[in-house]
Amino acid sequence: MTRTIAVAGISLELEELGSGRPLLFLHPGEGLQPRRPWLDLLARRYRVIAPHHPGWGNSTLPRWFGSVDDLAYLYLDLADTLDLSNAALVGVDFGGWIAAEMAVRATPDFGCVVLADPLGIKVGGVMDRDIADMHAMPRDEYMRLAWADPVRGEIDYTQLPETELAAIARGREAFALFGWKPYMHNPRLKHWLHRIDVPALVLWGERDGIISSEYCQAWCGEIAGSRYATIADAGHFPHWEQPETFAETVSRFIDTH
Amino acid sequence: MRCWYFSEMAYHPAWEAGLARGTLRVVLPSSNFDPPTAHGLLHRYLDEFALCDDVGLDIMVNEHHSTATCMTISVPMALSIIARETKKARLLSLGSPIANRPDPVRVAEEMAWLDVLSGGRLEMGLVKGAPYEIQPANSNPATLMRRYWEAHDLIIKAMSTHDGPFNWEGEFFQYRSVNIWPKPVQKPTPPIWMTGMSVDTGKLAAERGHVVGTLLSGGTAKPMYDAYRARARELGWEAGPDRMAYAAVVGVGATREEGLRRADQIADYVRTAPVVAEPFTNPPGYNSIGANVAIMKAGPRAHRIVKDRQGNPIDHRKATVQQFMDTDTVFAGTPDDVFGQIRDFSARMGGVGHLLFFGQGGFLDHKDTAENIRLFGREVAPRLKELEAAAPAAPGVAAAE
Repeated sequence: MTRTIAVAGISLELEELGSGRPLLFLHPGEGLQPRRPWLDLLARRYRVIAPHHPGWGNSTLPRWFGSVDDLAYLYLDLADTLDLSNAALVGVDFGGWIAAEMAVRATPDFGCVVLADPLGIKVGGVMDRDIADMHAMPRDEYMRLAWADPVRGEIDYTQLPETELAAIARGREAFALFGWKPYMHNPRLKHWLHRIDVPALVLWGERDGIISSEYCQAWCGEIAGSRYATIADAGHFPHWEQPETFAETVSRFIDTH
Repeated sequence: MRCWYFSEMAYHPAWEAGLARGTLRVVLPSSNFDPPTAHGLLHRYLDEFALCDDVGLDIMVNEHHSTATCMTISVPMALSIIARETKKARLLSLGSPIANRPDPVRVAEEMAWLDVLSGGRLEMGLVKGAPYEIQPANSNPATLMRRYWEAHDLIIKAMSTHDGPFNWEGEFFQYRSVNIWPKPVQKPTPPIWMTGMSVDTGKLAAERGHVVGTLLSGGTAKPMYDAYRARARELGWEAGPDRMAYAAVVGVGATREEGLRRADQIADYVRTAPVVAEPFTNPPGYNSIGANVAIMKAGPRAHRIVKDRQGNPIDHRKATVQQFMDTDTVFAGTPDDVFGQIRDFSARMGGVGHLLFFGQGGFLDHKDTAENIRLFGREVAPRLKELEAAAPAAPGVAAAE
């Protein structure tokens, strides 16, 4: 079910489905796609709450919004507004970055956190690129790096209605707003990851060419007690490319934490 | 009509390598650049600018970055030299890409310094910059225009404030003590120009009374000029031709063939300028949501085209000089031909008061370039200047303030 909710003066579009333990799903920079089998699979066991980030979908983007900090505080407010308790916090790609920024601030509403192919930290030297420059490569090269099988992620934009295209264009603009510079990371976040005080799972799609397994393992190195797992035959968006395996892996972790 | 000569000071020896690679900009390595060759070219191009002063032309300089199409990486650097080498020409900076510059106060200082050096001959373009300038500057395209307007307001405030420091705590720029020295000769600031290709730009420029410039096609320019004039009228003033500028390739010769040949060579610039690696052509946020929807609907093989006067699409990368003449991208022929074409163009546009005369575009050699400048300056520009006298006078910039 789709509804809008006012949080901190922002009109947020939420997808809500299923019942049970709450699960807050934070989507990647690519947005929530029109078809979301991973949400349906997770909704068999959990009360899934998936907001469209401000600027994506039909969520409003206030003019003063400008950093992932703002998104972190917004979703902490959302968790309070929805009165979440012992919720699972799951973020993919950009959503993983937001989840981490939330978790280093406060976790009273959350029981565990899953970061799948997360963006958000800097681990290498000044001339190392931890995160591929998705905005400096042709679309087909991006697809090749981001997907185990690029065909699974192909979208024929010429066939989509204009409202959907406008939402995609807005989402791309918002992604740039939050992640352009420094490119897709917060230089200080790594140094606060020790504050994450709930069980954490870091997932990596084994064919992800946007970030490496070493990068994901570096996240684990900063979060005490965190676990690392991989998903086979998936790239940067394992939830989208392997929804069943993703839902199973995430469920197994959530149910034991 | 005022006529402003400009050249991007092209580094055409690398164009073939750039074309082979599919981009002349952003990612073409500077291994394709030979400093001794460029040394000779830069001096030659500066000589060509200096020649304009002798033949009564004004001068325009622009800047680009990480590209073989344009060696000018700093308008104020180039204009500083030209200001010393000229005495009469007005000097148009078109301009400072203020949404990509990290320090607007520095821009205000540079422009004020140039105005003092040139004795009040500066005209000051505050421009958005092309989409492929985003990557070299690493400026955020999602906030580009917000940054543009804040920088615009701050630069004007800095140049026109003379009673000591002021404070600026904006969204993008913060200064606790803005107090620039020198102050400009022209009050409150040198004339301000904007550039664009949209109706919105026309309206926004009209609201401030700035000169608005565009390029490429009359089909795109006309709606922008019309929007400017309509908005000015809404605000209670009449925008004359002196608020409208148009950049075109111009080739003049003793014979029509010679003029066309020169234009054809200069037009190589227009053919190569759009050759840019795909990811840098449309950074997210640079174009409007509506424009992006249209791009997605058009599909991956669509590329930027303009239409000629009959509505036929023209691909700028492959167009012939005749096709370019049909889109008003090029004016060419004998002095009489060129005068007639520009006069008619201006009439079709409802009155254009500034022609930005693109008179060198890569492979046109010095002899041809100098002759093109001389013929245009001596035999075309004076007649275009008389056109202006017949046009209605425009009100002062203050009308829109």
